[in-house]
Amino acid sequence: MNRRRFLAAASGVGLTAGSAYVATEGLPGTDADAALPRRVETLDAPGSTGGEATVPTPDAVTVVDLFATWCAPCDDQLAIIDRVRGEYDDVSFVSVTNERLGDTLTREDLVAWWREHGGAWTLGVDPGSDLLAAFGANGLPYVAIVDADGTVAHGQSGLMDADELRARLDALA
Amino acid sequence: MDRRTFLSTVGATGAVGATTGLAGCLSSIGLGDANPDVVLGEPDRPFDSEDVPYPAWGERVPAVELPAPVDGGTVAFRDADVPTLATFFYSHCNTICPVLISTLRNVQTHAANEGYPDDVAFYPVTFDPERDTAGRLDEYAEQMNVDADAANWTFLRPASTARAKAVVDEQFGVAFERTHPEDMDMYMFNHGSLTVLVNRDGYVERAYTSTSPDEERIIEDLREVREA
Repeated sequence: MNRRRFLAAASGVGLTAGSAYVATEGLPGTDADAALPRRVETLDAPGSTGGEATVPTPDAVTVVDLFATWCAPCDDQLAIIDRVRGEYDDVSFVSVTNERLGDTLTREDLVAWWREHGGAWTLGVDPGSDLLAAFGANGLPYVAIVDADGTVAHGQSGLMDADELRARLDALA
Repeated sequence: MDRRTFLSTVGATGAVGATTGLAGCLSSIGLGDANPDVVLGEPDRPFDSEDVPYPAWGERVPAVELPAPVDGGTVAFRDADVPTLATFFYSHCNTICPVLISTLRNVQTHAANEGYPDDVAFYPVTFDPERDTAGRLDEYAEQMNVDADAANWTFLRPASTARAKAVVDEQFGVAFERTHPEDMDMYMFNHGSLTVLVNRDGYVERAYTSTSPDEERIIEDLREVREA
């Protein structure tokens, strides 16, 4: 390794590889102001009431799905959650995007995207990516399973399939 | 663990002691805060700007001019008269590039929402000129919800692969190399991640090397630089 490569590696601009929508270095999850739970703005959308919600949901097992509309595997994660959620009446489901709403992605655009992809539970927005940071999420989609006491039982970047989601929820039941 | 893996790990986990020891270039605390070329103070880091291959705090942005395939014409980095945010990507990337572009896009939306769209310029530079044509970049902007029609957003594209090497790797210190994943029928890249904030005088205020840069940190750094 020559000096240039060494310095690149040592200073964090080294080569990175991967094939999922996963970043290799975490968001700053250690911020003192990034603790859970957090208040998140929610949208008026199918299955979701406009206003604010606490994430994770107090006193409930919660599946938190962090997504972005540009992230193709996030569409798949939504479909998986939709398939599983009917089997768990007592579990709270919430999906949150860190995309900032504006002219190129309006509130209406996001709700239309949600409707188109079959979203039917709480939909929130996290401009500034505070929730991502609080979970220490380092890629999208990111799925966290939080127990009723608010402890994060599991969190992962990358798709969680239906069987694993069920198994993790069953473990908390 | 081979040396290369170890060194990558050092970078990824920010093991300050190890990095400092190996690089042997601990900066003097506070010395740089008097630099008249920059607004922001020296970042807390275990190396000096001259010791890293990318343009870092207090250094001039490279004197590079690149074609703007979507907007037409060319852009010279040192000629911008507003603070700029540049990053390096290729549009077929599934991993960190969409995160880097999405971060710039979120800052662009913040600028539009908060009324300072004319006080910042965004220069995303592709290092895959072969595939990232003007049409492809237009589609990519659409997919990423970027306002590519806005005056502040300019995709830049080196004219050739050789030129991409010369500019992105050699001038900006972002190494990249083609890979041919077995499960894909196209080439991809291993590459570094870098987003730089350059002030209106052409000096680097911050070099963010995280693969998922902190958007609010960038917005706050940009605010200080804009208002200086």
